Amino acid sequence: MRITDYLADPDMRAMTLDALAAGAGVVVMCSLLSPLVVVKRLGFVGQGVSHAAFGGIGVAAILGALGLISPGSPMEVAVVAAFCILSAVVIAGLSNRRALPEDTAIGIVLVGSMALGAILVQAAPRIAAAEGMTYAPRSWESILFGSLLAAGGTEAATSLILAAIVVAAVALLRRPMLFFAFDEDSARAFGVPTRVLRVSLMVLLALAVVSATRVAGVVLATALLVFPGAVALRMTDRLRTALAVSLGAGLVSLIAGVALAIELDWQAGPSVVLILAAMLLGATVIGRLRERLSTRAAAGPAAGRPV
Amino acid sequence: MTARPIANPQPAPARVAAVEVDHVCFTYPGAASSALSDISLRVEPGERLGILGPNGGGKSTLLKLILGLLRPSSGTIRVGGLSPEAARKRGVIGYVPQRSGVELALPISAREVVQLAASWRANPFRTIPRALAERAERMIELTGVSAFASRPAGKLSGGQLQRVLIARALAADARILALDEPMVGIDAAGQEQFAALLDRLHRELGDPETGHPLTILIISHDIRAVAAGSDRVACLSRRLHSHTSPQGLTPQVLAELFAHDIAGLPGALHGMHIHAHGTNEPCTDPAHAHGSNAPDSGPVSLNVSASGRSIGGVAKDSGGVGGAGVGKGGGA
Repeated sequence: MRITDYLADPDMRAMTLDALAAGAGVVVMCSLLSPLVVVKRLGFVGQGVSHAAFGGIGVAAILGALGLISPGSPMEVAVVAAFCILSAVVIAGLSNRRALPEDTAIGIVLVGSMALGAILVQAAPRIAAAEGMTYAPRSWESILFGSLLAAGGTEAATSLILAAIVVAAVALLRRPMLFFAFDEDSARAFGVPTRVLRVSLMVLLALAVVSATRVAGVVLATALLVFPGAVALRMTDRLRTALAVSLGAGLVSLIAGVALAIELDWQAGPSVVLILAAMLLGATVIGRLRERLSTRAAAGPAAGRPV
Repeated sequence: MTARPIANPQPAPARVAAVEVDHVCFTYPGAASSALSDISLRVEPGERLGILGPNGGGKSTLLKLILGLLRPSSGTIRVGGLSPEAARKRGVIGYVPQRSGVELALPISAREVVQLAASWRANPFRTIPRALAERAERMIELTGVSAFASRPAGKLSGGQLQRVLIARALAADARILALDEPMVGIDAAGQEQFAALLDRLHRELGDPETGHPLTILIISHDIRAVAAGSDRVACLSRRLHSHTSPQGLTPQVLAELFAHDIAGLPGALHGMHIHAHGTNEPCTDPAHAHGSNAPDSGPVSLNVSASGRSIGGVAKDSGGVGGAGVGKGGGA
């Protein structure tokens, strides 16, 4: 369908705006945390937590089948978020006590949640039938790759509220968090409560990831946490600029991704992720070129020529 | 505390030690033997102490204990009369980490790094208070960071980054400057500048109330780092002994004990005068009680003086040589 037709239809337009609002909340959360995720190498933690969302979706499906929560409600988001935060804490706990290396801890939580989610999501309709109810679980496709265009007003509101919480928390913690990010060991020696910061960061990350699974699904959610920051850090070495570029990259990819999804009938989540990947490629190429030009300029006109 | 020069560089008689370590033993959880065994050490306000020892000899562990990042298995530590944890919360010690620990990918300028020391406590709803910013600026100037203060930390040379980290350590009103392996990756010219910088900070950043110059702790396996800015050197290889009666110990013996572990030892010792001490201190360390693998042929301690400056009272026991190997295994 053409975007112009889409926007001409008031119903379609309202749907698109809901999707964009939901997506914008997600993008703001993820892009704000993204430079930190890249610098602190938390991408794989994000991956673990986002896959844990599958387990959370499974639990929510069972609760939905039992008629305890309704699909798409804030309660469902809360259940998934609680599951993700729990996983994040389990990952942090397992690797903190040095019982396991962090990547092992993440791997265990990741596959464990996926397996649990797969079984629970499949079991939900049967449980509902046994209770004399019908329950249509979310499609595998939407769980794995997201269903942004299906987001409604409730989801948009939930996403924007979560974004407000994350933005406020980051604004409050920005100075100690910066110290924590620059060097954690010294931060401790200077009295910075690093344990509190670590847990807060995990919780914020979990909130962002849970919301991101709505846009890009459990498989691609990490992309929203990693790409914008990676793009920004290739473009600038100033903190404020990096945050602005990260936000810009996230929002542009969201709008362009949604446009592509409508225009070409692609899936929205993967479209957003592909655009982010293209941006990263572009930023890397530009960064390399700029580096080469500046070293050539610094070395004088003769440099770079074969001797 | 302000950064104005001290009129009287002679320390007044001290009542409260800058750092007091009393019979401290430390064993890492799960480790078979102790990383530190019966350490006692007193650092007077205004004193410059170098702690020298082989890699794995427990230097970093001792620093972590003093910083309150680890708790002793037994014994006590006081920092300016406070517990290390309380001192850490008040920022009594300005810590200069090894540069390998910092995250250079973070987009942050040298100035922002210096400001971190105090600004992390600032009210998040307001801009950084002027007094903090001014103090940071003064440290930036004093450490010679001004010329590259607005450059990103990731683009600085090793020596420049070190100055930034020293400025940060002092930007929050620290009374004690503690440097961990400051000479790693610094070239010869940089080392000289480093010594001059430490000297200047020692003189200019004292406590105006008591008249003491700045207390400095240097932890290193490199005798050049320690000699560059210390009045006194303590040798640490799992055990440490100070202020004991002398016995002969030649540079050759010291070299044999440490040379394989301490960079630059033979050259740096040239022209130094060394006294050694024998001692028999009790150790309450459980690992020691069970019988460590160290031969117990009697501890030895030494006094070193170089170029007119006395680097006194320190120590090293031959039992500690075995301890060095043990410490390495424990990852101290």
